[in-house]
Amino acid sequence: MRSLSPSTHYVRFQESRCTGCAACLRVCPTKAIRIRQRRSIRIVTQCIGCGACILACPAGAVSAATRRPDAIGSSGVAIALVSPVLYAQFPGVMPGAVLHGLRQMGFHHTVDMSFFLEMFKFASDEFIRRNRSTALAPWPLISPVCPVVVRLIAHRFPSLIPHVLPVLRPAALMAREVRERIIPRHAGKGIAATLYYINPCPTMGEPLSSEAPGLIPTEAAIAINDIYPELKRRIESNIDSDLTAFSETHFDFEICSTGDAAFSAMSGGEIANLETEKTLAVHGLEETIAYLHKIEMGRLTDIEYIEFRTCREGCIGGVLTAVDKYVAKRNVQRMVNVFGLGRRLTREAILHLYDRGRFQPDKNPVVLTHLFGARRPALSLEDLERIEETLEVIAGRDCGACGAPDCLTFAEDIVRGEADLKECIWLHARNIRRDMGRPPSEPKD
Amino acid sequence: MAENPNCPLCGRSLTPEPCGQNAQVTVTGSAMAGLQKSFFIKARDFIHAGEASIQVQNILKSLQLEPRFIRRVAVCSYEGEMNVVMHGADGTLSIDIGPDGLVLEVTDPGPGIANVEQAMQMGFSTASDELREMGFGAGMGLPNMKKNSDGIIVDSAPGKGARVRMTFHFREGSEGR
Repeated sequence: MRSLSPSTHYVRFQESRCTGCAACLRVCPTKAIRIRQRRSIRIVTQCIGCGACILACPAGAVSAATRRPDAIGSSGVAIALVSPVLYAQFPGVMPGAVLHGLRQMGFHHTVDMSFFLEMFKFASDEFIRRNRSTALAPWPLISPVCPVVVRLIAHRFPSLIPHVLPVLRPAALMAREVRERIIPRHAGKGIAATLYYINPCPTMGEPLSSEAPGLIPTEAAIAINDIYPELKRRIESNIDSDLTAFSETHFDFEICSTGDAAFSAMSGGEIANLETEKTLAVHGLEETIAYLHKIEMGRLTDIEYIEFRTCREGCIGGVLTAVDKYVAKRNVQRMVNVFGLGRRLTREAILHLYDRGRFQPDKNPVVLTHLFGARRPALSLEDLERIEETLEVIAGRDCGACGAPDCLTFAEDIVRGEADLKECIWLHARNIRRDMGRPPSEPKD
Repeated sequence: MAENPNCPLCGRSLTPEPCGQNAQVTVTGSAMAGLQKSFFIKARDFIHAGEASIQVQNILKSLQLEPRFIRRVAVCSYEGEMNVVMHGADGTLSIDIGPDGLVLEVTDPGPGIANVEQAMQMGFSTASDELREMGFGAGMGLPNMKKNSDGIIVDSAPGKGARVRMTFHFREGSEGR
């Protein structure tokens, strides 16, 4: 079978740990998982990096394809791009102290996301405002921030690609700023730099900075839960010391954070403070899919912008976080209380950049479809008829014993020549009864 | 459609010539034969409303029809399904896909449409306050179906149920198969 592999761009599979329990089989939103020879295996091109199988596996056989935070800064310059979700892991600790702890761990630069979030929000406001008269994109616009949502759209809802807001997302803006302002300083001295994106989801399929035009530096993703133990130790040992070490930073965006940035870690944070009030914030994989269906069927056109996060409660519910999402939520709410909400940049400054095209993504939606849309070949009408016939023969109960998530997928695999009807235990049971001369009654559910 | 090919009003076949009684008529394509499937629609079941349309979309997606085409069918099937859920009795959503296009049909044996011409007007709605509170009843259902399909026939009369039949043609070049 083509393109079947235990690991994908986004998840790593440890065969020795897999018990073949099939807990991962049905949680996959793109039906990419099969069980073969009692082991979980994936259709690589269909994996969108949502992390559902990581959460579902009771044996810990599936993990994110992130880099272990060992030997950071041992060669060249290490630059940490920090998701605000990291701050939410440490109750009562100021973002500055978290970044200081990271620098003690060996990162030469620590980049906070707050300025880039503000830029993104101004640019989004601007696009939405202009779209009311230009009607370049259909309502509702869909947030480009969660990469799993964008891939889900490319895979399962290609008709919604024009709805994705064509503005560079905050993480990509952040990567570009680093590339333009920090890396040249070191490159001039012949020192190579690596960008480490410290984040809560297994989404790093391709480099972040490839979303914006220009050269692409080395990039790696580090999971928050991998970096958490040592970072926590550093932060705790720093509690009594004064953080004079702030003087070691060179750029304002290396230390600063805001209530807006903290808020953006949880569902509803992205739409908070947007100019338009015709917004929705939807979170969770199932809800996201349900709402994408609604948009596809022509509903929600009175909404201008929808923030989607496939993780529950938003990014604080990410698969690779260290603390419980509700604890993190409380921490975020505390930070919002302390910092308050509001932007520091001015609209005029951002408008100037906007009109120079600084927020336009490099890749247009069509390219996006090709990037993520490496779907299995289309079925023909005859194929669909054969699938229907096969389903009638199977008459199963979506038990998954064949190794496919449901009977329909199994039938499709058979028609594609990738599975064998013999694997169906319902059919097998009926055959045994027939051979024993008993009536072909159904086993009880 | 396989199970009931005749107009509920006059008893004659719906294709190629509809009966014309109380019906909005536009061109339907040549008779198509191909994959046929029907899905049950439960009236007043707002929790599962839209499920039949999603099944239709899944079929079109597995054929990898052009996304804009799928979108047109999706909008029409949803509007049709919701009409049954809101106003009709338990009915069916059927799809018949042929080499040149597809036919979508929404049928229910409910109270029917008193005045089809009026129902085709934008903004006309008989939805109850309760339905309006749920965000429905904008009077866009049939007009939306007309706008997004290549042809629509509405056959209905009070007490006789309703049958909405829509055709969609694969266009040269645009429906990349």
